[in-house]
Amino acid sequence: MKTLLTISWRNIWRNRSRSLIIIIAIILGLMGGVFSAAVRLGTEQQQYRESVEHQISHIQVHHTDFVANPEARFRIAQGFEIAKQLTEHPAIKVASPRTVFDGMAASANMNSGIRIKGVDPDTEAHTTSLDKLIVEGTYFAENGRLPSVIIGRELAEKLNSGVGSRIVLTFQDIEGEIISASFRIEALYEVSSSRFEERNVFVRTTVLNSFIGDPGAVTEIAVLLEDSDEYRKLKDEIQAMHANLEVRHWADLMPALFYSLEFLDQSLIWMVGIIMLGVSFGLLNTILMSVLERIKEFGVLMAIGMKKTKVFAMVLLETSLVSLIGGVIGLLLSFGMVEYLYVRGIDLSSVGGDGLSEFGYASVIYPEIDPVFYFKLMILVVAFAVVAAIYPAWKAVRFVPAEAVRTE
Amino acid sequence: MKTVIRTNNLSKVYKDAAAPVHALKNVSLEFIQGEFTAIVGPSGSGKTTFLNVIGGLDKPTEGSVVIDGVDIATLKESQLFDFRLRHIGFVFQSYNLIPVLTATENVSFIMLLQKQPKKEMERRAKEMLEQVGLSDKLDVRPGKLSGGQQQRVAVARALASKPDFVLADEPTANLDTESAFNLLDIMARLNKEENITLIFSTHDQRVIERASRVITLVDGAVAKDEAFDR
Repeated sequence: MKTLLTISWRNIWRNRSRSLIIIIAIILGLMGGVFSAAVRLGTEQQQYRESVEHQISHIQVHHTDFVANPEARFRIAQGFEIAKQLTEHPAIKVASPRTVFDGMAASANMNSGIRIKGVDPDTEAHTTSLDKLIVEGTYFAENGRLPSVIIGRELAEKLNSGVGSRIVLTFQDIEGEIISASFRIEALYEVSSSRFEERNVFVRTTVLNSFIGDPGAVTEIAVLLEDSDEYRKLKDEIQAMHANLEVRHWADLMPALFYSLEFLDQSLIWMVGIIMLGVSFGLLNTILMSVLERIKEFGVLMAIGMKKTKVFAMVLLETSLVSLIGGVIGLLLSFGMVEYLYVRGIDLSSVGGDGLSEFGYASVIYPEIDPVFYFKLMILVVAFAVVAAIYPAWKAVRFVPAEAVRTE
Repeated sequence: MKTVIRTNNLSKVYKDAAAPVHALKNVSLEFIQGEFTAIVGPSGSGKTTFLNVIGGLDKPTEGSVVIDGVDIATLKESQLFDFRLRHIGFVFQSYNLIPVLTATENVSFIMLLQKQPKKEMERRAKEMLEQVGLSDKLDVRPGKLSGGQQQRVAVARALASKPDFVLADEPTANLDTESAFNLLDIMARLNKEENITLIFSTHDQRVIERASRVITLVDGAVAKDEAFDR
């Protein structure tokens, strides 16, 4: 084996430039594949973090009729007590009771359909980090004549308003009566999704509840978990505890994101696999050329008694070594590239990336890759190399020694 | 004296061409241990085919080749590989060394395939390279050796594993006179010292003049079989 390895290794460097070209092709193919995969994964993971951790949380609890009719009359009975009880669960980081319903926001010259969220500022800060999303103004720090509202930058632009402006929110109370109330914009927040910014406004629960006529009103409990992977188990647990409520996890709420993430790993492997398939044909061509240039040599090896299995293994080994060199260097460079870009980010705003926020994506992408992915890629590279080597190796053992040794 | 190779009514017909070519016709010969035999004849007379058949590189159409009591025509391919490895040494016209291995590694290669102990392998390879006058080229690769030196390494490789016999297909054809004489001196000496049977196919009068036996093939058949006291 050691001799086979030595011969294979030296054979690789017999035609240094040709081997280097194919090694570089493998490196570039891998880097291209890893870059595409990292951008895709980074984008999806960012969207997941944005959506789940800043917007919808891992689990939401509602009155069963609220989902179809998000109105104040479909409240969770003893909502505050349930939220308190959930917060005490060891697997739950925080449960935020909210008063949520649809309404209308109007400025002096524009109006827009919105979702009003009555929140407890402290609990909400722990749940969605809303306080950290503020880009202008203060986070529920004011106690002025008009109650405070925090709105998204997108909605502020639409309403042609800003921090300090007065807007009127219109909504139904618990009896279904229409109520209009003036609020002062205390702050603007920003998330990657412009649709979320345009649609969601935040006010204090106490204020909102006093308007709708039920100080204890809760229409939604947003639950953030300690371990994000436990969402299915916790959903079932909460549902079992409160059979009369509608309990949904983030995958129920955002199925498109869920399926995208669920099949991401497979689709990324396929993507890189297709790139490596292309590279494999280059590898096959290189090894085949190398074999056809050494017909006489293979003839001699077999004539003096080297078994075909060893000749076959030698060609396979040469190919595997080339792919291992390219694979290891390619993956190391890819790792460095992804780590660098993860820190620095890729800012797409200058090339029209702002439009991504329409779809809930951030304009600055931070590529990332699961370390296991590199391992899978290494296996993929070697597997492709071995498959690519089969034909040249088969060709090598098909030479008839008596004829091959006389080849010029 | 021990018979190393015996051929019985050996025939080889190539059917690939438009008309069948009878490369060997009923060749029955015996080769004795330690013989230095030259197979001569014009081009197309069947010299190389004969060497290929007795070397197990080609199968006869009819007849048998018995080496050490074994009819090699009956062996399976994998058995034949093993048989060649253990019983036959080859020297080719154009040296055919493994270019990525040094002279020592080339000479050791067959012994390595035979799984001989490493130390014995190294000792024998060094000894053989000394015997062929290349003790100063142990770690040199073939590309840095002259044609004559490469052929001497090839001879050392063929003999190092102490095969029953060595087949050499026109070994001096690509060598200048001095290199050819040098090689022949070495082979003649090793033939005597190691008592190894050497069978050459050749056009080269210099080889013929050294041989103790000269077999002339014409149109695939034995035309003459002469012994000389040399």
